[in-house]
Amino acid sequence: MNYSDDRLVDYRTDATIERGGMDLPFATLTILLLTIGVIMVLSASYVRAYYTEHGNATYYFTRQLVFALSGIVIMFIASKFPIQFYRKLAYVLMAATAVLLMLVLVVGIGPSAGVKRWIQLPGGQTIQPSEFAKIAVILVFADMICKYKNYMGTFRYGILPFCIVLGGLGLLLIMEPHMSATIIIVLIGAVMMFVGGTRLFWFVLGGSVVAILFFVITVMFPYMSTRIVTWRDPFSNMQGDGYQIVQSLYAIGSGGMFGRGLGQSMQKYLYLPEEHNDFIFAVVCEELGFVGAIIILILFAMLIIRGYWIAMHCRDRYSFLVAVGISTLLAMQVILNVAVVTNTIPCTGISLPFFSYGGTALWVELGEMGILLSISRDVPAEPKERNKTAQKLRSDL
Amino acid sequence: MADRSGRVRPTRAPNQMMLRRTLFLMIVCGIVAFIVLGIQLFRLQILEHDKYGDAATNQQLRETLVSASRGTIYDRNDKILAASADVSTIFISPAEIAKNNEDPVLIAQGLSEILGVDYGKILEMTQDTKSWYKTVSRKVEDELTERVREFKSEHELIGVKIESDTKRYYPYGSLASHVIGFVGTENYGLSGIESYYDDVLSGADGRVIRATTSAGTQLLYTNFEDYYDAENGSDIVLTVDATIQYYLEKHLKQAVEDYDIQKGAAAIAMDPKTGEILGLVSLDNFDLNNYQAVNEETQAEIDAAVTDEEKSQIRQDAQQKMWRNKAISDTYEPGSTFKIITLSMALEEGVTTLNDSFYCGGSIQVTGDNEPRKCWKTIGHGSQTLTQSVQHSCNVAFITLGVRLGAQTFYRYAEAFGFLNLPEDTSVYPTAKTGIDIAGESGSIWWTQDVFYQPLNLSQLAAASFGQTFTITPIQLITAVSACVNGGYLMKPYLVKQVIAPDGEVSAANQPTVVRQVISEQTSAQVRQILERVVGDPVDGTGKNAYVAGYEIGGKTGTSEKVAQDAQGVGQKEYIVSFIGVAPASDPQIVILVLLDTPSHETGIYISGGNMGAPTVGRMMADILPYLGVEADYSDQELQVIDKTVPAVKGMSLEQAQNAVTQAGLTYRVIGDGETVTDQLPTAYSVIASDSQIILYAGAEPSPDQEAVPSLINYSYRDAALILSNYGLFVQADGSVTSPEYQIVSTQSIPEGEMVEHGTVVHVTLVSGDTDILGHY
Repeated sequence: MNYSDDRLVDYRTDATIERGGMDLPFATLTILLLTIGVIMVLSASYVRAYYTEHGNATYYFTRQLVFALSGIVIMFIASKFPIQFYRKLAYVLMAATAVLLMLVLVVGIGPSAGVKRWIQLPGGQTIQPSEFAKIAVILVFADMICKYKNYMGTFRYGILPFCIVLGGLGLLLIMEPHMSATIIIVLIGAVMMFVGGTRLFWFVLGGSVVAILFFVITVMFPYMSTRIVTWRDPFSNMQGDGYQIVQSLYAIGSGGMFGRGLGQSMQKYLYLPEEHNDFIFAVVCEELGFVGAIIILILFAMLIIRGYWIAMHCRDRYSFLVAVGISTLLAMQVILNVAVVTNTIPCTGISLPFFSYGGTALWVELGEMGILLSISRDVPAEPKERNKTAQKLRSDL
Repeated sequence: MADRSGRVRPTRAPNQMMLRRTLFLMIVCGIVAFIVLGIQLFRLQILEHDKYGDAATNQQLRETLVSASRGTIYDRNDKILAASADVSTIFISPAEIAKNNEDPVLIAQGLSEILGVDYGKILEMTQDTKSWYKTVSRKVEDELTERVREFKSEHELIGVKIESDTKRYYPYGSLASHVIGFVGTENYGLSGIESYYDDVLSGADGRVIRATTSAGTQLLYTNFEDYYDAENGSDIVLTVDATIQYYLEKHLKQAVEDYDIQKGAAAIAMDPKTGEILGLVSLDNFDLNNYQAVNEETQAEIDAAVTDEEKSQIRQDAQQKMWRNKAISDTYEPGSTFKIITLSMALEEGVTTLNDSFYCGGSIQVTGDNEPRKCWKTIGHGSQTLTQSVQHSCNVAFITLGVRLGAQTFYRYAEAFGFLNLPEDTSVYPTAKTGIDIAGESGSIWWTQDVFYQPLNLSQLAAASFGQTFTITPIQLITAVSACVNGGYLMKPYLVKQVIAPDGEVSAANQPTVVRQVISEQTSAQVRQILERVVGDPVDGTGKNAYVAGYEIGGKTGTSEKVAQDAQGVGQKEYIVSFIGVAPASDPQIVILVLLDTPSHETGIYISGGNMGAPTVGRMMADILPYLGVEADYSDQELQVIDKTVPAVKGMSLEQAQNAVTQAGLTYRVIGDGETVTDQLPTAYSVIASDSQIILYAGAEPSPDQEAVPSLINYSYRDAALILSNYGLFVQADGSVTSPEYQIVSTQSIPEGEMVEHGTVVHVTLVSGDTDILGHY
């Protein structure tokens, strides 16, 4: 592709833009993956549900189905709001997220003692503030980049403000502690900066610092080094930390080429922990085999590429940046999840979008898809009365 | 902005760069990363599929054993000697207890209460949460299992498990314990027939392979199960007759008690025509249902021991001794019973005849002997016929026969009789076994041919001629003697008659097997004739104590000095006394060998085969021959002296009663002056010595007083009857009464001084009072 440098422009936030229909391939792929995901939740969860929910085998499935259907509604509603709406909302969302992240440290609950990740709502529902932090970073950073676009090569504009935001959020997340969310938020922030134009030198420097830190921590904290050992050879600690990943490998490996068939997983019979959330992809591999798993990965890849395609067809810079951010966030979640499940990287808790059981996460993910679809509605369009007032419409930043 | 920060150089062409970097991101996040993941999946799912698949299957499948039911062991008349019943193994799965948050205290308390297992022990088991299988109790009976099942379901305990198993029951307890043998907790036969025929009896366990959840419970909605049916074991019918076995054990135990036998005893009964073992006893025997239990004395010794090591050592030693099947596993010098074999060889080879005569001057010297070899009767037997030589058990005569036969011929016959196999290498000790179908048979030990065949040293041959300087097993001796009396055919001994498959078909059967004919029918008839005189001759027969009135019994005594003495046996010599009996002598149906190892010198009874072995075999024969349906044929004299059955006369008129008593061969005295008999002593149908005086009450009451039993030992049988009648007591002989004046009481069933009711019958054993022909050989 060969873009002229005026391919991307900055629309005024109050510009009225003629909106077209949403991108059908993206919407279709999303709903297709969601459908497969909900079916897999049924298959993967019914055993656990039977034992933990007093014989109600469809407990998780029913809830996930309700979340998925309402999530689709959320996605369509989100796609109706113009991108300028989200741009205006960005800083409010960020502030709210920061408040929630502080609040969760006080009233939050978590999977184990001393860990605080969720806020319990009066209705019994829980929300996970870190989910909102991800989209908040994307929306805020996109706006910052639009503002600093010409000075992104500098430390003062290209590094400092971004790092302050990331540092603040990162600190709050580490205090929860929530390692996987921290990693994702730092990564997504870095990606936004990378696309925004921060000089590569800083990434080399930052990468080196992280590598050195990682090495030091590994050496200093035995907990971390045993984690590495467990990753390299999970069978050495089968009854302990390696149990989950070994069970995951058993599930994936026993799937073979065509799998045991939908619903036929053996590993879900309480062998594989978290089989209907973080490790649901192992059950997918076991039941649908290599062929099924690859088809699902291809669908994800197509969805992600289509997300980037939408981004690259944007006229508006802010839309472009948000679309890149959301696509990358989706890509990171999928890649990291599958990499963990297949023991390609050390184990950490990352859910698989559209597949893993979880209400708020699903709503947030579909909301993000909605924002991307909203952006796609602008793709073929130019601002109204382009010829007369094009100049006016462009931001003079 | 440019003017606000003049020193900041604006990024050149920012749009170009953003799009370039986005393209890069798209390639990394949308293509490259997915290719990496695809490769990883290919590796796991295709290349390593088998490895992970097998490991997964391995953890998902649970195998449950279905015990095959072990075959039943019957005696030859289909009496059940060993049978299996369903029981359970109760075990817990600590891993599942932990997983399902079940209360270990509740489980430990509940199981401890039902099964009587230590509470602390169970609680400790529950702590090992990595374990899936901890046995709480094995061989649990149905009733208790049901209670465990109720306890389990009441508290919905997944971690408490019940597994089916089988347990072996032996309805007759210790009867034929060494023949039947026992099975261990894992249902493997450990001794006897249970061990030798384990493959046949055990069948093949079945399996149920079931896919389960990680908690070991059933899968939902689906069911993966594979059944491999258990193949039940076959039943076995023994040649042993439980009744004969019972008689052997009863009398052998009596002998052990009467003669204070120190080192165990053995008895074998064989059908000489077939080689079937009708009964086989080794003492001490033990309760098969509780085969680990030792006798009270040993238990006391164990309790007295200090350290656990000592305790278990004592227990183990006692168990090994108790479980040892003496009749099969212990070799011994047979002594004079072996003279039957030498006799058979000599008659068959024609080196002697029934008309031959021998002179015994008390000793004989053979080539190679430094001093003359003494006969057991050192003053000598004088001139005697062949039959008399056997009756006397004269060593001089038998050494003569041995020398006439020659060493080579002697060994050839020993081989033919199954005592040894001559190896090609003449410097190797010859040995042999009968090959009987039971575990633990030992082999004989004989001098090498190099030693035995020395032409200038016949001392080994001389000793072997009367059964010394080699050792054989009791089973070998009885097999060979059977050949001597059955027409000359060496039969292969066996214990299992038939194997019956679970479908009821006979799947295998042992047929009588003639190994070879060793001597002719004619020689065999002569041997039987001579052996009959050993028992039947009330004057010259060393075996006359084995005589049973009405039957022709043949036999031979044996008394062997133990060569390998224990170090402490300094003072008194130890002997193995034995007797081998054949009946009826004209057409043998049963051969019985009794062997008593080390009678105590304390009893005062003269230690010899004729004095201890012969009466024991006689008592066995007296019970077994009628059982086998062998008709008794009494001579008039025997009819007079045998014990009589008391008629039922209560309620009769006095006159009628007196007639009935006289007719029965008994005398009477009347107490009271009534006309009818109101009571009698002893009770009707008691068997008592002939000419005993029974008491008829005519209107009077028997005295309720008790009487102290007097000592009868060394009184003649007739005197014993008279003495007791003074007390209103009576006597009955175990075994045969042939001459009440000359047979003396050897043991009595009720010890001296014990208080008994009037009319009690005291059982006694008798031996010949004529000791001058009873020797150590």
